[in-house]
Amino acid sequence: MLEAIKLTKYFGGLAAVNELNLRVNQNEILGLIGPNGAGKTTFFNVVSGFFPPTRGRVLFEGRDISRLESHDVAHQGISRTFQASTLFMKLSVLENVFTGYHMSYRTGFLKRVLHSSSARKEEEGFKKKALETLEFMGMASLKDELAANLPHGYQRTLGIAMALATDPKLLLLDEPATGMNLNEKKAVIDLIRRIRDMGITIILVEHDMKVVMDLCDRIIVLNFGQKIAEGLPEEIKANREVIEAYLGKEESKNAA
Amino acid sequence: MVKHNRYLFNRANMRAHKFIYIVIVIIILALLPLVVHNPYYIHLLIMVGINAVLAMTFILMLRTGLICLGIAAFWGIGAYASAMLSMGLGLPVWLSLPAAAVITAIVAALVGVLLVKQGGFGFIIQTLAFGFIIVLIFGTFQVFGGYVGIVGISHPEPIPIPFVGSMIFTSISKTPFYYLMLFLLLLMVLVLAAFYSSWAGRAWRAIGLSAHLAESLGMNLFNYRLLAFIIASTIAGLMGSFFAHYYGALVPGSFGPFKTINIHVYAILGGINFPILGPVIGSLIMTFVPEFLRITEGVEPIFTGILMILLVLFLPNGLLGLTHLWPRRGKPSGNTTHPII
Repeated sequence: MLEAIKLTKYFGGLAAVNELNLRVNQNEILGLIGPNGAGKTTFFNVVSGFFPPTRGRVLFEGRDISRLESHDVAHQGISRTFQASTLFMKLSVLENVFTGYHMSYRTGFLKRVLHSSSARKEEEGFKKKALETLEFMGMASLKDELAANLPHGYQRTLGIAMALATDPKLLLLDEPATGMNLNEKKAVIDLIRRIRDMGITIILVEHDMKVVMDLCDRIIVLNFGQKIAEGLPEEIKANREVIEAYLGKEESKNAA
Repeated sequence: MVKHNRYLFNRANMRAHKFIYIVIVIIILALLPLVVHNPYYIHLLIMVGINAVLAMTFILMLRTGLICLGIAAFWGIGAYASAMLSMGLGLPVWLSLPAAAVITAIVAALVGVLLVKQGGFGFIIQTLAFGFIIVLIFGTFQVFGGYVGIVGISHPEPIPIPFVGSMIFTSISKTPFYYLMLFLLLLMVLVLAAFYSSWAGRAWRAIGLSAHLAESLGMNLFNYRLLAFIIASTIAGLMGSFFAHYYGALVPGSFGPFKTINIHVYAILGGINFPILGPVIGSLIMTFVPEFLRITEGVEPIFTGILMILLVLFLPNGLLGLTHLWPRRGKPSGNTTHPII
């Protein structure tokens, strides 16, 4: 579905992503893990069009999307969440999700400016859908609250709700469980599974190993922008190179 | 729980709460010339209207993250275009008015395609440069009358009004111009409100709040910023055309970046979170207060400059921003959402 071919991104002299080959299959949950600065978020930023790659290509459903701008990438059916809770903080929860339906407008320019009945009906439809999405996320009771006033866990879920509203084929989740307590983590694991069951493919960047091991069908490990391992969760757990990357060489010897 | 949905559902809000107030304000404004007889005050009121609309265009662009220092330039393009169409081609004013708006829109589209892409600091500097260049062009080329300017621009042709007779625009009475200003002001408010409360307004707001997030949801930053830039400049151009036919004379110097700074002050004084009411309040105060304090034109820039510094330091949300301090009926204070009007 998504394929990165020798993808490279330099910041100055530093290769944040280096000759990365990666493939995501239809409807799988792919885990992307690695120590801080391994290039996970940079990979997301390149795929979603925020930075152009220095070299290499990204193919989505066979089309080269590596030079597209981020709004065009969104139109292709790739949606993302952000590591920090990036929300429209001054808008209500419902309004935030509503904004996610921006690409679904079908009425003409003039009809929308003149608020014709078809344009109003269209927006009513988005409102209804936004409410349904919030119900799916278990946040319907918070719909009128300002995003800024939400507890951290709900802010992260709201970010996912907005990404879902764009009706994506591929969802890039950047650390969805960060800063959550155990119950919230359980809820987010369940939520991500249900999103996959809707037929959406997911790439998950996450530091919490329990979340990653529970959820992912396949895991790719990055270190210094390069792929150091790829496999099933059990294989990754047992991989010596991965343990070294996370713990350092000396530590891993002691651990062994 | 507090309702925070004013961004999305302001249309309903407007119908319920504000419609009556708006009608009352319009009636008061329409009856004002019956009380105010001094033509100089009528002149000031007309300038308040023009400046208020210009300040509205500043807020429109600001919402998408564009700080434009060339508003007065587009105001001038409208004014000069209209003056030349009516004087050079002999077009009736009622035709040159919309034609000037179209010409300004075309110039804004061409300039916008070049400048808007950059956004941010580059845009500020380039619009500032554009503001100076326009003054130079008007001043240097004799077609535009040079630095002496253009005089004797024709007044609008009389319009017949049923049962009252016809409305005649002369330099003797300023009242007909006042009504024409009021009509244009209301028209521009309607146009702006229609955009603000539509998908475009929501996209502008979203882009202003978080450009990255808006982009990831599929909003094309460039297109929406360009749309705001063109609408704002076209409105400024239309007001320029009105100014030309009202004032009857144009001097290049009045369309420079200093004018634009003043426009910014009107908007900031009123409150940039109030895209319609803020500019009206701001320009009303900035026009009448220096008048009553008898501040002469030479000293006014000092007054304006000090005020701008004080505003940014102590009152960044403007006078109307203070309304959040006292609780409203059934609503706790500290509401951070922003109404459209």
